[in-house]
Amino acid sequence: MFEPFHKVVSNVAGTVLKHEKETGRPIIGVMPAYFPLELIYAAGGYPVQLWGNQLPLEKSDAYLQAYCCSVARSVLELELIGGAEMVKAYAFTSLCDTLINLREIYRRLFPKPTLELSIPITRTVEARRTYLDSVVQNVTNGLEEITGKKITPESLAESAYLYGHSRALQRKLYNIRMGKPGLMKNYDFYTAIKTGFFLPAGVYNEMLETLLDQLENQPAPIGKRPKLLLSGMVFDPIQIYKIIDELGADIVDDDFANGWRNVSKQNLRVENLVEGITEFLFNPAPCCCLYNPDNDRHPYLLNKVKRSGADGVLFWYIKFCEPDAFDRPQLLKRFKKERIPAGFIDIELSMTNFEATKTRINAFCEILEG
Amino acid sequence: MTQFKAYSKMKELMTNYYIEAKTTQEKPIAWVTSGAPVEFLYAMDILPIYPENYAAMCAAGHQSVELMEAAEAEGFCQDICAYARTDFGADITQGGPAAGLPPPHFLVCSTNICKTVIKWYEVVARKYNVPLFIVDTPFLHDGLTKELINYTISQFKDLENFLTDFTGKTFEHERFMEVLYLSLEASSYWNKMLYLGKTIPSPFNSLDTFIHLGPIVTLRGTQKCVDYYKILYEEVAERAQKKIGSIPDEKYRLLWDNLPIWFKMKRLGEFFEEKKVTLVATTYANSWGRLGNSHGEPINDPYATLAGYYLNVYINLGFEERIKYLAQLIDEFSLTGFIMHSNRSCKPYSVGMYRLQEEVTQLTGKPGVVIEADQNDPRVYSDAQVETRLEAFIESMESVSKIDSSPL
Repeated sequence: MFEPFHKVVSNVAGTVLKHEKETGRPIIGVMPAYFPLELIYAAGGYPVQLWGNQLPLEKSDAYLQAYCCSVARSVLELELIGGAEMVKAYAFTSLCDTLINLREIYRRLFPKPTLELSIPITRTVEARRTYLDSVVQNVTNGLEEITGKKITPESLAESAYLYGHSRALQRKLYNIRMGKPGLMKNYDFYTAIKTGFFLPAGVYNEMLETLLDQLENQPAPIGKRPKLLLSGMVFDPIQIYKIIDELGADIVDDDFANGWRNVSKQNLRVENLVEGITEFLFNPAPCCCLYNPDNDRHPYLLNKVKRSGADGVLFWYIKFCEPDAFDRPQLLKRFKKERIPAGFIDIELSMTNFEATKTRINAFCEILEG
Repeated sequence: MTQFKAYSKMKELMTNYYIEAKTTQEKPIAWVTSGAPVEFLYAMDILPIYPENYAAMCAAGHQSVELMEAAEAEGFCQDICAYARTDFGADITQGGPAAGLPPPHFLVCSTNICKTVIKWYEVVARKYNVPLFIVDTPFLHDGLTKELINYTISQFKDLENFLTDFTGKTFEHERFMEVLYLSLEASSYWNKMLYLGKTIPSPFNSLDTFIHLGPIVTLRGTQKCVDYYKILYEEVAERAQKKIGSIPDEKYRLLWDNLPIWFKMKRLGEFFEEKKVTLVATTYANSWGRLGNSHGEPINDPYATLAGYYLNVYINLGFEERIKYLAQLIDEFSLTGFIMHSNRSCKPYSVGMYRLQEEVTQLTGKPGVVIEADQNDPRVYSDAQVETRLEAFIESMESVSKIDSSPL
């Protein structure tokens, strides 16, 4: 069932080049996180999401310190070694200090155009609306300049449907996983989600529909295994899911920026793009990078644990991600108060030895099994 | 380090500031970031408290490690900004030179220095269950725009409403203008003093300016701040006029980029003196002098003036602007080179620094060096590593540097 997804993830460059050729759309590399892919597609571009990779970090060391996260370092490495030649331009958001400065590094090093969706985090509603209006205007103008095509109401509506539908199908997959733990291997599940980073939405949607058809009516496996909820920014490196599969634990839900936080987003409302993008950025799942006290992470995550039936929460910490690191101690304290087992693992995308990670996850699963 | 007569005055000012902070019964306490528009707060008789300043004091007094360890024991990992960890620890243990900070009634956080402060203040807001007002000042990738000014002004007006609601007092515009002029005047003295570094030999070492930053950070907008910087300026101006240098035999004149290494001030001061190096300009100390550039002209649009000031902070600028500014300082201050502190605790300052160093050298022909350190955490600092690197850099300048000693 998952073979087509594994094929994509194991041959990203080949896949992306094939679809670039077939669609004739210029590839726009999308940096973390929450840049609405709909805008890129509506402008005639082919959005490909870059959430980091597992390249050994060599050339990027000349530009980024070791205390920058491996997401930023590995994405830069890809460009520096010529692995991102097919990417014609980059789309950023102002998610964190590292990514803001990374855009500046790209502007100094490479001739490729870059865009930034500057996310206003003020609570002054009118100021946010007016400012975002100008930001969206700049972004759409920039995209049109890159692709040479105009964004029209029709192209926006089409892309809102396509990408909204991708997320709706992904949500079905999430719901099946939550309802039938163990039906899908953890490794297969995240491969299926990751595939969406690299394919045009229409192609991806067909693959997901086929998968969902195959999964329908399949019974949930019998037997009790530890049920995990994972929380973090990026769900890679994907090999760790093989370890979790081997350990016999089931992930029933997640709170990843490139997982449920993104998947949960409803269709982008394009009739009022500024309001639509505001809603898209801040809802429904809260993110450690976007200040939004109206949507507090503490009750949100507690509710998520309850809803998913997870036995415990594992924080998946990409080293040097400050926004994530700041939230963790208070969240751990809150979980402890609510008697929800919680732990964390430190992750580097470039890691090659998973033994310590395996030991840690195993120990956590043993706690859950009592 | 230069012994200024004004030092004792500054010590007295800062002591009184912290005594007031710890004892006031009348004034609401707001914890604010160093780039927050404090003029609105002083206009409403709110006492602003600066956790960043306190963290720096803790590190300068060699107390930061035990405080950070207290924060780390509560789960705040070492990847987090060392200022934040120091303050969290000071809050947990009520430690540091003032035995902790007074609890806040509310928080004001401006993003012009980093986005990290949002996370830091979220933690505090949750702990104390107090409101957090954010003034969002987006990064200036392509300079200042009308949209950015308007965005910031709107938030200032909302801040006024927030303060009015919080205190139950009316926002007095006249009082606000008084505070603004005081803020501008203090910044002007600070800026004029910093520019005396152009004198050869320099009448101060920039390490001195880091020490004397306290009042411009914490007290700008008050008369006592103006009075203090007037005294300091006059003292430094007199030294400049008499050509009294910070060190007896100034050979190299360097710029320092990024925050100081607070726990190594003395050792680095001695190191530089021995090597006949004077640090004469810094992007960090200059940050509080930028409002003072308007030469006392009347302010027709206070909101736009302040918006421009608080947006146009050095580390909120795109690299093109940073490179131009660094090159300008190198030229104006007759510098022989520059030192960039790659500061583990300050990503907006540090990420991209390697490239900036290359480009500034290409543009100016002046050598630069990047040292790896941290503003507050001695555990990630190596004397040997930093000093060996600096020694090699200074030796490399030997053959190329000749100070132009023409008068200003």
